[in-house]
Amino acid sequence: MSTPHVDPSTEQSLSIWFFVGILTLFSGLIILGQGVYEFWHPGITVLANLHPAFWWGLLMTLFGGFYTINFRPGKG
Amino acid sequence: MFLATQLTHLAPVDVAILVLYFAMVIFIGFYVKGSTNTSEQFFLAGREMSAWIAGLSFVSANLGSLELMGWAGAAYQYGILATHWYWIGAIPAMLFLGIVMMPFYYISKTHSVPGYLQLRFGEGARAVSAVSFAFMTVLMSGVNMYSMALVMKVVLGWDINFSIWVGAVTVAIYVMLGGLRSAIINEVLQFVLIWAGAALIPILGLIEAGGWTNLKAQIAARMGSTDYMHMWSTLGSFNGNPMGVHWTGIVFGLGFVISFGYWTTDFLVVQRVLSANNLRAARLAPVIGSAFKMFVPFFVILPGLLALVLLKDSSGHLMQLYPDGSDMVLHHGMHSFNEVLPLMMIRYLGPGLLGLGITALVAGFMSGMAGNVSAFSTVWTYDLYGAYINKKATDSHYVSMGRWSTIVGMAISVGTAYLVMNAASIMDYVQELFSFFIAPLFATVILGMLWKRASKAGGFWGLLSGTAASVAMWAMVYKDKTNIRFMILQPHASVDTIMRVQAMAANLYRAAWSWLICAVVTIVVSYCTKATPEAQLTGLVYGSTIIPDDGSTKIYQKPVFWAVVVATVLFALNLWLW
Repeated sequence: MSTPHVDPSTEQSLSIWFFVGILTLFSGLIILGQGVYEFWHPGITVLANLHPAFWWGLLMTLFGGFYTINFRPGKG
Repeated sequence: MFLATQLTHLAPVDVAILVLYFAMVIFIGFYVKGSTNTSEQFFLAGREMSAWIAGLSFVSANLGSLELMGWAGAAYQYGILATHWYWIGAIPAMLFLGIVMMPFYYISKTHSVPGYLQLRFGEGARAVSAVSFAFMTVLMSGVNMYSMALVMKVVLGWDINFSIWVGAVTVAIYVMLGGLRSAIINEVLQFVLIWAGAALIPILGLIEAGGWTNLKAQIAARMGSTDYMHMWSTLGSFNGNPMGVHWTGIVFGLGFVISFGYWTTDFLVVQRVLSANNLRAARLAPVIGSAFKMFVPFFVILPGLLALVLLKDSSGHLMQLYPDGSDMVLHHGMHSFNEVLPLMMIRYLGPGLLGLGITALVAGFMSGMAGNVSAFSTVWTYDLYGAYINKKATDSHYVSMGRWSTIVGMAISVGTAYLVMNAASIMDYVQELFSFFIAPLFATVILGMLWKRASKAGGFWGLLSGTAASVAMWAMVYKDKTNIRFMILQPHASVDTIMRVQAMAANLYRAAWSWLICAVVTIVVSYCTKATPEAQLTGLVYGSTIIPDDGSTKIYQKPVFWAVVVATVLFALNLWLW
């Protein structure tokens, strides 16, 4: 099986890390929003008093935001 | 296998995260379709993945949800011994693949492991390997599919048919469109999701338990001994530890044969590394994967151990979990070992976080299916269709065949899922069947790579006899369970010892024997038959191949340096938990 020449115009341009960033950023924002809500409406899970949704959501938002910006399309 | 009533339900924010994930994987499938026009692009992701991406995909392809839940349950049942399957049972083999074997896979420019066998041992060995691999991958994909549907039914109350079809159609779309490239991107996403979705459980669990020292003390108090928290000191006899395993089984059966067989010759994982963009990346990828693998017990084994002392029932008493299929699970509404991870998830993760955890599980199942189906499609197209049915088709025809075989592979997987649904014991058989082929295959590949004298006939007959021996040993024990005493070289073993060994260690000894039989037959037949001319071994065998410089100049760029770092940390961790 031979491999023909590849047309560069068909090559993908979005980095895998950009996809990682977007998914983490949006999931993080959703969880962060829930975490903020839980300051007034506390959850019923064990250790909910530590506000894990808020802190984990914040961490994911920062991580996802960093990857989204750093690997955004056209950054080169 | 699981309790029939659901454990929890999803809030709208949880559904939002799940929908976000599904939307993204479908988008990725359509997005990368434009860059999968050639067979090299479709089946090997264009060989343009960096070491990090190939490495994360390599480790992620093995990080299926079935394994995560199963080993969390094993940690609850057997204690910290379960960690061996992540450490000695994976890391030395991954390092060996990167440092010793990868150069031969990579510079031979093979597209698959059966393809390497064809180059080294001829068509016979390739045919045996390709047929068994193709057959097993679609069955495994079906087992994954059914397991996901079952977990979703138990945890969330979803209809099994709904889960099977949504999972199958989604995976079929993104693998058919994007091939290995699409599967790799999704494996990297899954890797991030699993860390994000699962790492919070051990963190909160350790806070609740009062730290590592307090956890050990509480487990010792509950179990009445410290055996559950030692990795090596209890392995001096079959009766001295909760798993009923001897250190020889762990070191030779698991650490050598099973682990090396899986990580160095199972095409499902090796295919990920073959997608690397240069030799250095191909050697570094398994090393990077091994570093991450070392920390997987943190969110798999630790939750199982924490559950021993933290999981409580509604009356506040410590919860007792039971084996799958046991009377307590089937007729008294108790939870099984395999439910330990979902139970810990529900304990700590509220709305949003629970959605993330469930998405991580779904992603794990789906990437398990995608990994199997993409590997099936490659082996079918290159090693069966392209090798025996239609040798002279155009490249675009093979890409088209790859896409169609993805659909057919998924259809067979759906059929398997329904078959398993109607006869659950098939699942155990399928998983055991897989181990029939792995151990002898490793003997064939490693002798082929490191020993010039191994002949074509030696490779073929060794592989065939090793596989046949593995099946025969399984049948022997299936017929009469006490026959296991011959496999552990203790013909006069007590009934208690035999009962303990059956539970977990039988696979380890069967693998070790089938490897040995394959190796001996290969060596004997090779000496009795004509050697392969040296010129035909260039690029395939150690001693006949000049390994090209991988381009690393500074010490921290060298894969071997990082392999030594990983091995040192592994050694230190084992000493710490001795």
